[in-house]
Amino acid sequence: MPRVVKEEKRGKWSSDLVLDLYSNLLTEIWELVSALIGEAILAFLVASAVRKLGEKYPFLNSLTVSEDGISLDEMKENCRTVAPLEIHRGFQSLINHLSHLFSVLAEGVINKELFPKVFQKVKEAERIISPK
Amino acid sequence: MRLIFKNLNVLRSTINAISTSLEIKEIVESAGNNLPNLFDFSSFGVFWKEELLLFLCQEESCPPSFTQEVVNNMIKVFSILGEESVDADRIVLQIEKRKLRPKQMIMDPKAALKSYLTLPLAVEGEILGCISLHSDQPNAFDAQDLQFFSVIGYQMAATLRHFQRLSSVKNMAIYDTLTGLHNRRYFEERLEVEAQKCLYSNTPLSLVMVDIDFFKKVNDTFGHTEGDQVLCKISSLLKASVRKKDIVARYGGEEFILILPEARLEESFVIAERIRRLVENTLFEVGKTQVNLTLSLGISSFPSHRVKSKEGLIEMADQALYDAKRGGRNRVCIFTGKFTRGAAPT
Repeated sequence: MPRVVKEEKRGKWSSDLVLDLYSNLLTEIWELVSALIGEAILAFLVASAVRKLGEKYPFLNSLTVSEDGISLDEMKENCRTVAPLEIHRGFQSLINHLSHLFSVLAEGVINKELFPKVFQKVKEAERIISPK
Repeated sequence: MRLIFKNLNVLRSTINAISTSLEIKEIVESAGNNLPNLFDFSSFGVFWKEELLLFLCQEESCPPSFTQEVVNNMIKVFSILGEESVDADRIVLQIEKRKLRPKQMIMDPKAALKSYLTLPLAVEGEILGCISLHSDQPNAFDAQDLQFFSVIGYQMAATLRHFQRLSSVKNMAIYDTLTGLHNRRYFEERLEVEAQKCLYSNTPLSLVMVDIDFFKKVNDTFGHTEGDQVLCKISSLLKASVRKKDIVARYGGEEFILILPEARLEESFVIAERIRRLVENTLFEVGKTQVNLTLSLGISSFPSHRVKSKEGLIEMADQALYDAKRGGRNRVCIFTGKFTRGAAPT
C-alpha cells in the first residue's frame, strides 16, 4: 500500500488503480451490450477477444468471463508485477477488438450506443494513464 | 407501447416455434414465417457450421447478385467470429424465396447489400453457426431490432445444441465406437427394411459376411491395442471399397457384414473380391513391424438364393463364409445351396 501512495504522489498509476478503472469500464460495456445482444453472445465475444489478445498480453488470460459477467478478481491477484502501462495497453487492445467485433456483427448499431457512454471514458483513461 | 406488445407476442410465438422444431429446416421455416412480422428485411440467413449448411429465406425479387453478397458477407463474418476460415465451395446453400414485400416495393435488380445484423449462435462458449438479417436499404436495423434478433438467436442456438446432443445419442446407438462402422443392432434394423423392400419389389439384395483370417494371432502376438488398430484400418478399407448405398457394419469381434442393396450375385462377388484383393495387398503397421493379412468372405443373395427371410440370408452368408474358411481362407465363397452345417433356411 505505501508503494501505491508513493506512486500516486509522483503522479503515476498503480496496477491496482488501472485495474479498477478498467474493471468499471468493462462493467459498463457489459451492462450496455448485454442488454442489446444478451449475455451468452457477449460472453462468447469477450472470451474470443481474450483468446485473440492473450498471447500478446498474457495477463488478460486471467480475466474470468461467463454469462454472469466479467470478473477481474483473479487478475488482481496475478497482476501485481505487471506494469500499469502494460495493463492499460492490454485493456485498450481488448476494448478496441471488442468494438471491432461489434462493428463486424452489427455495423454501427452497438457502437452507436456505446460511444456516448463508454468511449469517452476510454479516451479519458487513455489521457490520464498514457505518458505524455 | 401497443406496438411493443404486438412485437413481443410475435417474438414469443417465434421462440415457441423454434424451440418445438425437430430439425434445422423446421427452425429456419418457423423463423422465416415469423420474422417478417418483426423486421423489415430482404434476406434472412442461418449458417450451421456442423453440416456447413447455409439456409437463406429471401424476398422473392431478391436478385442473384444480392444473394451472392449475402453469402459472402455471412462467410466473412462467421470466419471472424469462429476464428477459422470456411471453404465457400463446401457450403450447401438452400434458398427459399418468399413474398416479403408488397408489389410496389420489389427489389431493384441491381440492389446491393446496404445493411445487416449478424449474431453468432453461441452456447456455452461454443459457436455453432450464425444468423443474419440483410437489407438493401441503408441503416435498416436499430438497437431494438438487435435486441429482438438476439433473443431469437439465443433460442435458435439452444435448440441446435439440443439437436447436437440428440444426434450424438443417436450415433452412440447405431455406430460401433471402435471402428466407426454401423453396429450390429443398426445392421439388423437396416436389413429388416432392405429385406422388406426387396421382397415386395423383387429387387436384388446381397449380403457379404467378412472375417479376418487368423486375427487371434495378431491379438496374441501384438496385444489388443494393436489388434484394435488393425480392425480400424480394415474398417476403413471396407468403407472405401463399397458403393455409397451399401451398409458396412461390425458384426462382432473380427467379423463384418455388408448389405448391398440392388446388387445381384455377380455384382456382389465383384465387390467382395475387390475387398479381398485390397486387404491382401495392404501392409498393416502392427507395432514396429508390417504384416500381411487376409480376409475370408461369404456371399448370399436374393433372389438367386431363393431365400424367404432376412435370417435365412444371414445364415447363407455365414455358411458361405464357413466354406471360405474351410476351403483355405483368403477367398470369396458364394452360398452353394448346400448347408454343410446348421439347418437350412425355411
